[in-house]
Amino acid sequence: MVDAARHPNIKILSYSEVKRVEGFIGNFRVLVEQKPRYVMADRCNGCGLCAPECPIEVPNEFEEGIAPRKAIYIPHSQSVPLVYTIDMDNCIQCYKCVDACGKLDAIDFSQQPTQTWLDVGSIVVATGFDSFDPSTIEEYGYGRFPNVITTLELERINNSAGPTAGKIVRPSDGKLPQRVAFVQCVGSRDEHYNAYCSGFCCMYTIKNAVQWKQTHPDADITIFYMDIRTPGKSYEEFYQRAREMGIRFIQGRPSRINEDPATGNLLVQAEDLALGEVIELESELVVLSTAAVPRADADQVSTTLNVSRSPGGFFMEYHPKLRPVDSPTDGVFLAGAAQGPKDIPASVAQGSAAASRAARILNAQKWEIEPIVAHVWEDRCISAQGKKCGICATKCPYSAIVVEQGKAARVTAAKCHGCGGCVAECPHNAITQMHFTDAQIIAQLHALLAKEPEKKILAFMCHWCSYGGADNAGTSHFEYPASQRGLRVMCSARMDQDFVYEAFRLGAGMVLVSGCHPQDCHYISGQRVGAERFEKLAKRLEDVGISPQRFRVEWISAAEGSKYAQVIHEMDEALRGMDPAALKEENSRVRPELERRLRRLVEIPSVAHALELKIGV
Amino acid sequence: MRRLNECDPKFKDQVMAEPGGENLIRCYACGTCMATCLIRRSDPEYNPRRIMHKAILGLRQDVLSSRQIWMCSACDDCYAHCPQNIHISELFKVFRTIAQHEGFKPTGPTARVNERTCVACGLCVEVCPYQAVELVQKRVLGQNKTVSQVNAALCMSCGLCAASCRSASIDLTDHTDETLLERLQAEPQPEEVAV
Repeated sequence: MVDAARHPNIKILSYSEVKRVEGFIGNFRVLVEQKPRYVMADRCNGCGLCAPECPIEVPNEFEEGIAPRKAIYIPHSQSVPLVYTIDMDNCIQCYKCVDACGKLDAIDFSQQPTQTWLDVGSIVVATGFDSFDPSTIEEYGYGRFPNVITTLELERINNSAGPTAGKIVRPSDGKLPQRVAFVQCVGSRDEHYNAYCSGFCCMYTIKNAVQWKQTHPDADITIFYMDIRTPGKSYEEFYQRAREMGIRFIQGRPSRINEDPATGNLLVQAEDLALGEVIELESELVVLSTAAVPRADADQVSTTLNVSRSPGGFFMEYHPKLRPVDSPTDGVFLAGAAQGPKDIPASVAQGSAAASRAARILNAQKWEIEPIVAHVWEDRCISAQGKKCGICATKCPYSAIVVEQGKAARVTAAKCHGCGGCVAECPHNAITQMHFTDAQIIAQLHALLAKEPEKKILAFMCHWCSYGGADNAGTSHFEYPASQRGLRVMCSARMDQDFVYEAFRLGAGMVLVSGCHPQDCHYISGQRVGAERFEKLAKRLEDVGISPQRFRVEWISAAEGSKYAQVIHEMDEALRGMDPAALKEENSRVRPELERRLRRLVEIPSVAHALELKIGV
Repeated sequence: MRRLNECDPKFKDQVMAEPGGENLIRCYACGTCMATCLIRRSDPEYNPRRIMHKAILGLRQDVLSSRQIWMCSACDDCYAHCPQNIHISELFKVFRTIAQHEGFKPTGPTARVNERTCVACGLCVEVCPYQAVELVQKRVLGQNKTVSQVNAALCMSCGLCAASCRSASIDLTDHTDETLLERLQAEPQPEEVAV
């Protein structure tokens, strides 16, 4: 941190909050609110004469609440910048600090929050994680029994700069505990709290146990675990070393911790799996290895930066394998535990990667984007005629469309990722997507259904998931009937209802629309835009008179090849079960209504031309 | 030594197909259920974790013939603590149901009806918290008769039916009225208890 503070190209804005983010990759504008410290940063030299004079004591957040701090304070001794802050929620304004500060005259009670707009090229989110609050697991007694503590509390007690100056004591009587138990997976790998494995707790617990054993060789240390996970380089060797030092490892998750009120000692109950028996261990101190959980304000950060969150609540990366540092919003990068629980080496690696990814943008004069962006035909957009609409802007997951009444909707190409949601949602067919124009897709549709359409299953697939799923079915040798005809678009959001109408008008036997599961969507909320539309569309198709089994919606991930094959199998079977004559009769019956609904399709530029081509006939 | 290839890998699917058995394979053997269990305090042999593991492996005979599947009292203390949210008492009900279908005799405590004296008043059906008792038509001593019948797979042997039966026609296999009275009389009388 000190190095960062001294670097000529790094500016640290501490005690500040990002309020708004506007713009796009390479051209962000960020509104930062600097909170008042009530101490002038340019005058305070961090001498610390003020704090001892302050009469107010409150729990110290950095020391996990086990030591006090004053109302005028620095978070910890290595704070950067070394400038004191007055915590106005607790200050009684006795002005003793002002007297102590003397000639420096750094204290200013009149400070107000200040807001600044910054122009930045890229953004790195490194907001870290929170520690799970174990008091919700009542049977472990955290909060009820003083000698049940969390790992972070132990870290402070064990730290030479901590409240006990590194002397290990237990909270109830200040004595050095001889028998210690560590409990793993507190709040993680548990369906009641967090299903995921926090990953680094095994290693830090072994580290703490080894450190303890080194300073107190007689200590009796037990680690209760479900599985020890030490997959990193040299990690397993470290685990072996802990075993060789005489640390006891018991496989079994404690079901209950009871306190002996006379001694304050704790009785840990668990099944020792190797023994196949329930055991009880008396410990003087129990340390809970709590789960890493997303920061409490992750929701707010997610809204401000337009960064979506994974099922566990951490920020979602663009691609888990290929782009693990990028967020779904271009120019915003993720580093460290904000993206998912990770240990120090992994956080450093991701931080370095994020910095270099961000630097690429800063050093570029031009930035290449995918060419599949949306484009507005200004003469067709009714907003240009002064009418109210703006549907496209509400459907865009990236806020890439600006609608001003009296002007045509404007797409910021650098922000557009090409999901095509706006294109399919525009009620006036005024938007198109480059390389996925209506004319191109309709031409494909006609080619696919050129021969014996009533024997075909037309499958709309999204590029990322269901197309991958179909591909996976092929590479994994899951056979599916040859009646399927696939049509790839980027996202289920692009699958216009007119395409489905057109497919049925041409007489398609079955239509499948498929895309990502909602949490996997590669366009933040594109899948939801599609899903809402298909729900309504299913009812509309029924109103038209199309049998409900002829239209199906399925969410299939790229790993679900077997599901893709299964769905096609089921649809094929259903199709073959239908009477061909009845199907033809149904098709001719619904055709006039479909034609009525599709009458505006030909107005779209080059669609009429595509229809005239009669490809493949 | 066990030869695992001789196990029945379909057994877990059979269990999971029954309502209540769905979560069987989620067990990652942490032992929380065992450490929480009330039953194992009176019977150290009892181990729900091991039964579930045997079911996952497909040791069908072991599971279905085990006395342990009849012993769960459905206090559900383990369910509240299980990190994988497995409803173990429901799972054991599935084991018992399959055992009964396949002709294994209940080896644990259960309620039983004396059909000769039962008057089919239906009180036991009403009081049973587990819906384990029902009234059925049966031939008893050559006559058609309505009597109550206990489904051993569902019975938790709580004894409510036995205590409420007006004609003393139900008792528990492990705790008949006679054995309970004997034990009561064998206990030291209040005045004999040292203070």
